[in-house]
Amino acid sequence: MTQLVWNGLFVGSFYALVALGYSMVYGIIKLLNFAHGDLYMLGAFTGFAVLGAAGGVPSSLSLPLLLGVLLATMAITGLAGVALERVAYRPLRRAPRLSLLITAVGASFALEYGMRAVAGADPRVYPVRLGGTPLEILGARLTPQQLVLIAVAVVFMIGLNLLVTRTREGRAMRAIALDPRTSALMGIDVNAVISRTFFLGSALAGAAGVMAGAYYGKIDFLMGFLIGLKAFTAAVIGGIGNIPGTMLGGLLLGLLESFGTFWLGGEWRDVFAFGVLILFLTVRPTGLLGERVTERV
Amino acid sequence: MRAIPLKSLASLTLAALLLSGCGQGLLGDGDDAATEEGPIVLGMLIPQSGSEAAIGPYMSNAAQLAVDEINAKGGVLGRTLQLKTADDACDPQSASAAANKLVTEGVHVSVGGYCSGATLPTLPIFGRANIPMIIPAANSQELVDQKLKHVFLINGTGSQQAEAAQKWIAKQGAKSVALMHDNTSYSKDIAVRAQGLLGDQVVITEAVTPKESDYSANITNVLAKKPDFIYWTGYFQEGGLIARQLRQSGYEGALMVADGAVSPKLAEIAGNEAAEGVYATMTQTPDTLQGAENWIASYKKKYNADPGPYSNQSYDAVRLAAEAITKAGGTDGAKVIAALEAVDGFAMFSGPLKFTPEHTLANGGFQILVVKDGAFTLQDPLR
Repeated sequence: MTQLVWNGLFVGSFYALVALGYSMVYGIIKLLNFAHGDLYMLGAFTGFAVLGAAGGVPSSLSLPLLLGVLLATMAITGLAGVALERVAYRPLRRAPRLSLLITAVGASFALEYGMRAVAGADPRVYPVRLGGTPLEILGARLTPQQLVLIAVAVVFMIGLNLLVTRTREGRAMRAIALDPRTSALMGIDVNAVISRTFFLGSALAGAAGVMAGAYYGKIDFLMGFLIGLKAFTAAVIGGIGNIPGTMLGGLLLGLLESFGTFWLGGEWRDVFAFGVLILFLTVRPTGLLGERVTERV
Repeated sequence: MRAIPLKSLASLTLAALLLSGCGQGLLGDGDDAATEEGPIVLGMLIPQSGSEAAIGPYMSNAAQLAVDEINAKGGVLGRTLQLKTADDACDPQSASAAANKLVTEGVHVSVGGYCSGATLPTLPIFGRANIPMIIPAANSQELVDQKLKHVFLINGTGSQQAEAAQKWIAKQGAKSVALMHDNTSYSKDIAVRAQGLLGDQVVITEAVTPKESDYSANITNVLAKKPDFIYWTGYFQEGGLIARQLRQSGYEGALMVADGAVSPKLAEIAGNEAAEGVYATMTQTPDTLQGAENWIASYKKKYNADPGPYSNQSYDAVRLAAEAITKAGGTDGAKVIAALEAVDGFAMFSGPLKFTPEHTLANGGFQILVVKDGAFTLQDPLR
C-alpha cells in the first residue's frame, strides 16, 4: 500500500511541476498553452545537450553536476518559453480564443517536429543516470535519488507559490489575471509581466524534463505529448489558475493512476483515473481549490 | 469558459476526420497506373517518425540495397525496379493516409509493414487496388486471420513467437510467468497466445500504456505475484524502461522480450547492468545470420552503418517481389499473387521459402537471443 502511495506521489510530482506552467499561463491570459508539454521535452533535450557539452564527469559528482545542468536548462527553456509567447501568442492576444488555441497546437507540432529535425527521431539516453540503491521505508522501496527529485520539485513549487503570493511581481501577475486593461492603467508593464510568467512556467517544465531525463534515462521528441495532456488534466482537477490547487491536482492524478492500476489492472488505469475525474468535475466543476474564480494566476 | 476549449477540440477532431476523408477519396486512381511500361514500383510503408522511427532506416536501406543489386543485374523483365517509401509513423491513421498515397503513386507490390497495428488498416487499401503485399516485419495473427488473398507474411507470426517463448520458458524451468504487453495489436496478440500455451503458469497479464516513462505502478502489480519469469511483448523503448525499473524494484528473476523490443537501444535505455541477461524471442537478425558476412559488408559499405532488426527481412521482401513478378511475367496483381503462392524453396535468410495456405512461413524461425555487454547475441536456436 505504501508502495502504491509512493509510486503515485513520485509520478504526481512530475505532473504537478508541468501543470504549474499550464495553470499560470491560463490564469493570466486564458490561453491553454498546448505547447507546454513540448517545453518539457525541450528541457530534457537541452539538459542532454548541456550534459554532453560538460563531458565525462565522475559518477560521485553526478548529483551536483545535475543540479547545475538543471539551473542552466531552466534558464534556456525559460527563454524559449518567452520567445514562444513573443512570436506565437502575443500577436494574437486580441484575436478570438480559437485562433490562439490553434496557434498553441501549431506551436506544439512545430516544437516536436523541429526537435525531430534537429536531434533525429531516435530516442536518446542520458549520459548521467540517477540510479541508486533502493531503501525500504515503511514497506515501500524508494531510492535516495527519488527523494532528492521530489525535494527539488517541492522547493520549486513552494518558491513559486511564495513568489506569486508575497512579491510585487506576484501581485502584478494577479492583477493582470483580474483585469489586464486596468493593470496597464495602474502602471504595470503587462507585456513584461506576461513574459516573465512564461519564463517561470517554461523553466519549471524544463526542470521537470531534465529530472525525468536523468531519472528515467530515455528522452524522445514526442515525450512531452502525453505528459502535457496529463498535466493539463491535473491543472483542471486542481482548479486551473490556482497554484496550490494545481500541485494537489498533479499529486491526485498520480495517486489515481497508481491505485487504478492496482485495483483494476493496467488496461483499466486510464478509464479509472479519468472516470473519477469526470465524476469529480461534475460535482465540483471549479476543481479542488478553484473557488476563487475571480482571482487567478 | 470551459465550453470553449471543448468545442475547439471537437472542431480539431472534425478537421482531422475531414482530412482523412479526403485521403480515402483519392482511392481507385491506382489501377490506371499499373501499366506494363516504365519502372516497376515497390511501395514500402515504414515508421520514419514517431516512437518506432529508429527501425525505419534499417528496413528502407536494406530494401534499397536489394533494389540496387537487382537493377545492377538488369532489373526485372527488362524494367528497372524502383522503391517508394512512405511514413506510417506506427500509427493507423498515418498508415492509411500513407498507403493511399502509395496507391495513387502507382506502386505494383507493397514490401513494407513494421507495426502490426499500423499495417492492419492498410490491408484493404492495397487490396482494393489489387496490390499484393509482402509484409517483412509486422506479424500479428490478425493480419492473416482475415484470409486475404493479397497478404503474405515473411516474418514468423505471433503464434509461432508465442510457441518459441513457451519452449524457452519450459527449458528454463520457470514456474510462475508474468506477461506484460502494451495493448497494441502486435503485442497483445503474442501475450494472449503465450497465455493460451502456458495456461496456469501465467500468474498475471499486465497491460501498460505505451509512451510513458514511469511503469512503477504496473511493476508493483506484477511483482506482487512473485513471478520468476517475465515476458514483455511490446517494443524496445518501453522494454528498456521496464527492464531498468524491474531491476530497480528488486526483481531478480528472468526477463524476456519479444522481437519488437530487439534493438541496441534497449540495452542503452535500460543501462547495461539492467539489460544483461535479458532474453529475446527473435527471428534471424544480421548478427545471428550464418554466412551473411558478404551481405553485411555490402550494407555497411553503402550506408556506413550496421544493418539492424528487419534489415534482412526487408531485403528478402524486395527479392521475393522481384522473383514473383518475374515468374508472373508482369505486374498484374492476381498473377503475382499466384506466383507468390507457387513459390517453393526460394532462398531467403530465414531458409527456403514456401508459404502455408494462410500465407505465412511454414517455420517461423524464432530463436532465443540474450543480451551480453549491451548487445543481443544468439543463446539458443531452438531447433
